[in-house]
Amino acid sequence: MNEQRKEILQMLAEGKVTAEEAEQLIAALERDQPAPAAPGSDVRPKGKPKYLRVMVDATDEGVASRVNIRVPLQLLRAGVRLAALIPAQALGEANAELSRSGVPVDLTQLKPEHIEDLIEHLADMSIEVEEATANVHVFCE
Amino acid sequence: MMPQLVTVKMMRPNGRPIRIWVPVLPVLLVLSPLVVLAAVVAAVACLVYRISLLRAFGTGWRIMSALPGTRVDVEHGRAAVLVSIR
Repeated sequence: MNEQRKEILQMLAEGKVTAEEAEQLIAALERDQPAPAAPGSDVRPKGKPKYLRVMVDATDEGVASRVNIRVPLQLLRAGVRLAALIPAQALGEANAELSRSGVPVDLTQLKPEHIEDLIEHLADMSIEVEEATANVHVFCE
Repeated sequence: MMPQLVTVKMMRPNGRPIRIWVPVLPVLLVLSPLVVLAAVVAAVACLVYRISLLRAFGTGWRIMSALPGTRVDVEHGRAAVLVSIR
């Protein structure tokens, strides 16, 4: 029990406030205080993410494998700028190959001016894939 | 800021590690003739494909500058490779 709540209950006990007033004060106190984080919840600091992390734990024919990759998001920004330099003809061919492989992504729509929005939303992204033989976790930090 | 040091650590299946530290700037200075040649080839390619030279070299520099902080760590059984760019 925190100090402010104790003071309110003390005031109630001393008859300085009525039960209704005490209830209102406690309710106001609870509104001002943030809800405590649930145990086991994600407690990563919310700021601008700097790195993209990819972590893979897998077992391949009884042999344990682990991959831990950290890529600066700045590199992602630079990569998109690089993609903007690729001639339209080459991008068209890449799009066709991607579509043929089942990844219908239009690389010509990847513009450097959109990357900031993308990175901003990456901060909230966390992908976890769990299988019997492999765990994959992709997130930003 | 461009990368200063690349660290490569390898663990061979027999358990003996190999560590290599590569100071980027001295290595670039030693390899400067090749770097100049690569820059000339890149410039010619930019002209052929009608890409702005300034934008191309600017983007190349951005990529170089964004590399510090990259870390790739792969382990498979007793073998492992770690590449870290600082």
